[in-house]
Amino acid sequence: MVAPAGYNELAVEVHDVRVSLGGTPVLEGVDLHIPRGQIVALIGPNGAGKTTLLRCLLGLQKTDAGQIRLLGEDHLERALPRIGYVPQRLALERSFMLSVREFLALRLPETRHWFWQRKTRIDELLGAVVSELGVGGLLNWPVAQLSGGQLQRVLIAFSLLGRPELLLLDEPTAGVDTPGEQTFYEVIAEVHRRRHLTVVLVSHDLSMVFRHASWVYALNHVVCCEGSPEQVMNEESLKQAYGIQVSPYHHHHSHVH
Amino acid sequence: MFTEPFMQRALLAALFLSPLCALLGVFVTARRMAFFSDTISHGALAGIALGFWWGLSDPTVPMILFSLLVAGAILWLKENTELLTDTIMALLLSGSVSFGIMVLSLLKGYRGELHRFLFGDLLAVGSREVWTAAALLVVLGGVIFSRLSWLTLLTAHEEMAHVCGIPVRRVNYLFVVALTFTVALSIRLIGIMLVTSLLVIPAATARNLSRNLRQHLIFSVLAGLVGGVGGTLLAYQFDVPCGPMVVLTAIGLFLISLVAGRGRQKSRAI
Repeated sequence: MVAPAGYNELAVEVHDVRVSLGGTPVLEGVDLHIPRGQIVALIGPNGAGKTTLLRCLLGLQKTDAGQIRLLGEDHLERALPRIGYVPQRLALERSFMLSVREFLALRLPETRHWFWQRKTRIDELLGAVVSELGVGGLLNWPVAQLSGGQLQRVLIAFSLLGRPELLLLDEPTAGVDTPGEQTFYEVIAEVHRRRHLTVVLVSHDLSMVFRHASWVYALNHVVCCEGSPEQVMNEESLKQAYGIQVSPYHHHHSHVH
Repeated sequence: MFTEPFMQRALLAALFLSPLCALLGVFVTARRMAFFSDTISHGALAGIALGFWWGLSDPTVPMILFSLLVAGAILWLKENTELLTDTIMALLLSGSVSFGIMVLSLLKGYRGELHRFLFGDLLAVGSREVWTAAALLVVLGGVIFSRLSWLTLLTAHEEMAHVCGIPVRRVNYLFVVALTFTVALSIRLIGIMLVTSLLVIPAATARNLSRNLRQHLIFSVLAGLVGGVGGTLLAYQFDVPCGPMVVLTAIGLFLISLVAGRGRQKSRAI
């Protein structure tokens, strides 16, 4: 891999990581070297190990072998406070009346006693992130009743409140309609531009990846290929990753699964 | 009614335990743990039976210990086997009830006691239980409110909670221990069969009236208090078992909240 010029520090270093789930190998010696400040996409077919890899980075999945360093730290506990994580969805019971304001308040130490604090005080402490992500109008809504696109914006706002240096997103646009998906990637690009974050996102939408990612890893139990979107998103590389003929340019939201 | 010592004890127990059950109930329902609580309460029957077997007049200690054992067994089996959670709980629920009834049936003179434990009894609440309930309310209420953000985030998304630095496993275990103590202590008053309703119904009542979690928690505690204390008073008045009366009172409140909640939604829509 030729790292883009100007980046000599790595946000994510993964060396020879191996994971088996229930006796089936899912990751068979994965290496990643993600420079700081990039938007990096992990693409690959279902069952390729993308989400498992993300879970390994977050310490949610034990590895059988290999090393992981995040933000220059060998110990995940030291890196975690500087990491933001956006899951696919919350799977919140509709019976749980958590409002968006209360949910966002859970991220800040200053608002951890939200139960006793006034709404105006909480809004003040949440600050600019709310308007940056355009979730001001949603603050009184129950989180369980948000649409896919609204929820994703709330989840990003939640992550940004922790002032992360590294943002990890797991299939962020699953359950979001096409216009919502486009807006979502534009929001991510804007957040990346303003905050100079490193963004690692697991995605299945090749056209969006092509438009917004600066580096792409095609994963199928191992890293099949990596490079700039132009380098990776050609038919030969994708065939290698997906095992079938995939066209990166005529992909009008017909997801590759 | 209020001058009778047994009634004072029963009312105090309802006053301490019903808000605690209602508070935990908001999280129990959101985390889909109602069946879990049912399994723990039925597990208590085996503890009660063993207590009588050992000749104890008050089986509270073995009852709590056996409930904790059942809760621990559920968590261990969930983490170490590939059995479905429902299967594990059905196995332990039926197993401990069968074991409890077998032991009780071998003992002479305790068969009448079974009914009291199944449906709750005003006369059964001892002063030691009242003070334990008060201590439990103070300690658990304090812990829950001081760590409300942890518990809430854990309920919303365990993995996000982990990334935010919350000790997920430890908090989960503590929640189960808190739930077990509360359920086991409430059995004397409400009974094994009905104790889960003290967790679930107030939370559902509050859900109909709330727009956010703060309101959900406050209304749930209020609904729990009215259902628990009101039901205990009515049980005395009509000389019926305490558990069913508390549950019927709580269901009455739920129906009122359902109508009131609909009315509020309509007026907001207009």
